[in-house]
Amino acid sequence: MTFVEYKMLNPFQRFVYNFKKFIKAAPKAVANFFIMIGKAIVSFFVGIGKGVANYFKTFVKGDWATKFSYLIFGFGDIHKGKYYKGILFFLAEVLYILYMMFFGWTYLSKFLTLGTVETVYVNDGIFSTPIYGDNSMLILLYSVLTIVITVVVFAIYIANIKDAYKHQIMKANGEQPTPLKKDIKEFLDGKYHITLMSFPCLMIGIFNILPLFFMILIAFTNFDKTHTPPGSLFHWVGFSNFSSLFDLVNSSQKAKTFLELTEWTFIWAVAATFSNYILGMIVALMINKKGIKLKALWRTLFVIAIAVPQFVSLLLMNQMLQENGAINILLSRITGSPDTIKFVSDPNARWLARLTVIIVNCWVGIPYTILSMSGILMNIPEDLYESARIDGASPVKTFTKITLPYMLFVTTPQLITQFVGNINNFNVIFLLTGGGPTTEAYYQAGQTDILVTWLYNLSMGAEHNYGLASAIGILVFIICATLSLIVYNNTKSMKDEEAFS
Amino acid sequence: MKKIFAILLAGMMTATALVGCGGGDTSTGSSKPEESSGAPANSEKVNETGSLADESYFADEGTAENPISLKVWAPDKAVSLVKKQIEEFKKAYPNTNFKEITVVAQGETDAATNMLNDPSVAADVFSLPSDQLDKLVDAGVIAPVAFKETVTAKNSEDTVKGGTLVNPKDKKDTLYAYPETNDNGYYLVYDNSVVSDDQAKTLEGVLEACEKAGKQFIMDCGDGFYACTFAFTAGVKIDGLEADGTQKFVKYDEDEAVKTLQAFAKLMKDYKGTFKSLNPTNINSGFKTGKTGAGFDGSWNTADNQKALGDKFGAAKLPTIKVGDEDKQLVSIFGYKYIGVNGSSKFPKAAQILANYLAGEECQLQRTEELGWGPSNIAVQGNKAVTESEVLQAIKEQASNACAQVNIASTFWTPMGNLGNKLVSDSWKPDDAAATKKLLDDTIANVRDEG
Repeated sequence: MTFVEYKMLNPFQRFVYNFKKFIKAAPKAVANFFIMIGKAIVSFFVGIGKGVANYFKTFVKGDWATKFSYLIFGFGDIHKGKYYKGILFFLAEVLYILYMMFFGWTYLSKFLTLGTVETVYVNDGIFSTPIYGDNSMLILLYSVLTIVITVVVFAIYIANIKDAYKHQIMKANGEQPTPLKKDIKEFLDGKYHITLMSFPCLMIGIFNILPLFFMILIAFTNFDKTHTPPGSLFHWVGFSNFSSLFDLVNSSQKAKTFLELTEWTFIWAVAATFSNYILGMIVALMINKKGIKLKALWRTLFVIAIAVPQFVSLLLMNQMLQENGAINILLSRITGSPDTIKFVSDPNARWLARLTVIIVNCWVGIPYTILSMSGILMNIPEDLYESARIDGASPVKTFTKITLPYMLFVTTPQLITQFVGNINNFNVIFLLTGGGPTTEAYYQAGQTDILVTWLYNLSMGAEHNYGLASAIGILVFIICATLSLIVYNNTKSMKDEEAFS
Repeated sequence: MKKIFAILLAGMMTATALVGCGGGDTSTGSSKPEESSGAPANSEKVNETGSLADESYFADEGTAENPISLKVWAPDKAVSLVKKQIEEFKKAYPNTNFKEITVVAQGETDAATNMLNDPSVAADVFSLPSDQLDKLVDAGVIAPVAFKETVTAKNSEDTVKGGTLVNPKDKKDTLYAYPETNDNGYYLVYDNSVVSDDQAKTLEGVLEACEKAGKQFIMDCGDGFYACTFAFTAGVKIDGLEADGTQKFVKYDEDEAVKTLQAFAKLMKDYKGTFKSLNPTNINSGFKTGKTGAGFDGSWNTADNQKALGDKFGAAKLPTIKVGDEDKQLVSIFGYKYIGVNGSSKFPKAAQILANYLAGEECQLQRTEELGWGPSNIAVQGNKAVTESEVLQAIKEQASNACAQVNIASTFWTPMGNLGNKLVSDSWKPDDAAATKKLLDDTIANVRDEG
């Protein structure tokens, strides 16, 4: 279709055309995404291969001191006169060996079984005291820590070899190793980024990455209420937590719940995101319209809604929507009939409850959209509108041709963030309905439960099924990550960064 | 200079981000068992009422080098009383060195959950409802009762039986917790200016009286704790757990069960506008505002309801419901409260002695008098504080028409709540026997975690 042909279409046909184009492009985008991942994996292994090759090459080329560094960290450096670095390398090795001997190995050696010795109670007179056996959770936790430390020490090991070889070459060229003072200065100059980033990176590693690995590994265990340390052990169960979620062949209830909750999670995320976005934009436009008086007042009123903590508004709404809540009382006063509407608790009216959740979410979400939209609206150059008016464009035209494209361009990343945020929007669902209305069709979930609140029920509720909950968490992450990457990579904001600057 | 400043700033930012990340020391991996003490093995040395154990039981705990510090979880309303009782406890052992015994408010229903989350930082002594005992035993975090002979002799048989579970390791019956109350249930509470004592005997009578007076009857059908009454009355009673933790039910007559559920649903429909499924807190507030005529409320709200109604307070066992030609007694769930000892307590002996004291005769009597809790101790049950209380007598009568709240799978409550929700919902058709049967089957399948 040529540009002229496109221009001749009416808006509806254009939408159909664009929609078709998106659907056609979608498989390619998905394919590209996986090709990208595949390429990354391949280059990773190629990198490893190169590294191994280098490792042996250096060994062949190295002199005796460099060769010795393969066993004792820092030996090459000390031999070549780079004392402080050599000593640091050597210390790393000593500390690592001590750590493994006295701490790491006791846990790591049990990593494959997660412990075999059970806790028993022995009688001590009339008292029973426990003799604690293995604690699977601590074994898992410290094993992960030990593995991470081992990887770091391995990196230090490789750096030590490289450094030894570097100094060997330097010596052969007649150069002196740089003194400590100069190296430190270098960290404030050429290697300044390392100085700044190392501490934050270390902390992120300890407090984010490490627990993340731990949580991911729990998805492959049967950590639940009957396997709770320190009283009892838990074990590896492979992929059984995941397979129970996809076990549609036996029409298992977990699989059905997972499928239907995923469906509702998506409906919820789309509805919640776009209802907030569109309604927020409309209100922002109205406030921003020329000729509206007391603009600051209206804006402040909406900001006040933000000032009330979200959970307070939600719990209040929950109370108001109850059968004997304010809304029902008001309704019955108006209509005069004693009939009440169970907004969030009628098991036969799931869509009423779901609709209620989406509408209440507007209450807590729209003010934020108004805030950011107002800022963007004020930033659109006034001369664009002026020239449009001179050319005789209608207000609708100016909106669809100037305002909307500009807004979409700026806010697409925000939209994606909001969408992902809504997939994981725990507060609104949990505080407003608690997952209700109840149903007999789902496993430990209600009809407005989304995946995260189900995850919460499974882990913190009666079942304490941490394994299954962790598996769901991983699946939610995969869904969110894939979606946001694909969508973001296909947005205008990504492809054409300069468009509006 | 600028760069150094930037480093400091970055460091500070990271440091602030990390504040609050520090956790308690949770290592329990390799603590050793207590050294064997000289305490005698069998017949327990306790005082006459059985609540104070001989001081020699403390053995190596509470010496000058090893002062005792314990943490106790008690429900909100009982905290100040428990604190007083602990002071008495300390006085009873003058030769023992107590560093501190702290009392922390912790709702009983969440006590087990918090115990399971991390036993090593949980309380040494805590109170819990009977239905949560099995998961603590499964997880091996609760220590068996030390003074079992005393406890067995001094408490009513049912409560001791409820605290006795099969040890998952050696498959022997073991007493795991000290009985504290035997009143954990609900009964009919009514405004006797609206509902006469005679009308309170049947559910139809209660509803009719409430409708006539334009007041509400409240029962929380969405909560499995109350809603299981429907199933139990219908004959679908619980019968312990299978080896893998699945809930067992007794054999029941399906036609009869469906008929009973239909009878309930029909009453709800007939008295729509009067029969309200609301949170039990509405009963009390309804009494205050005069909107509520009657309701099923728990023993823990007795004091509040008495205050709201004053002279008009009426209490009785749950009413009957007419199924066919027969007046069927409503069957409720009835639990006990226990005091448990954390298996990973650092002072296991002191914790046991304290738990035994808190669950003992004197403490139970004080709680009956001050908080209105029904005692499990036989001696206290004969006390006039119990025999003259209308409420405690109503509870006692209801107890004989109830399923014990022990050995209940954690999957029990939600499906039962759903059953109640469905029956009370506007669109439910009481005449539809097939739908009722399917609902009952689905509910049981869900409780048993099948499918």
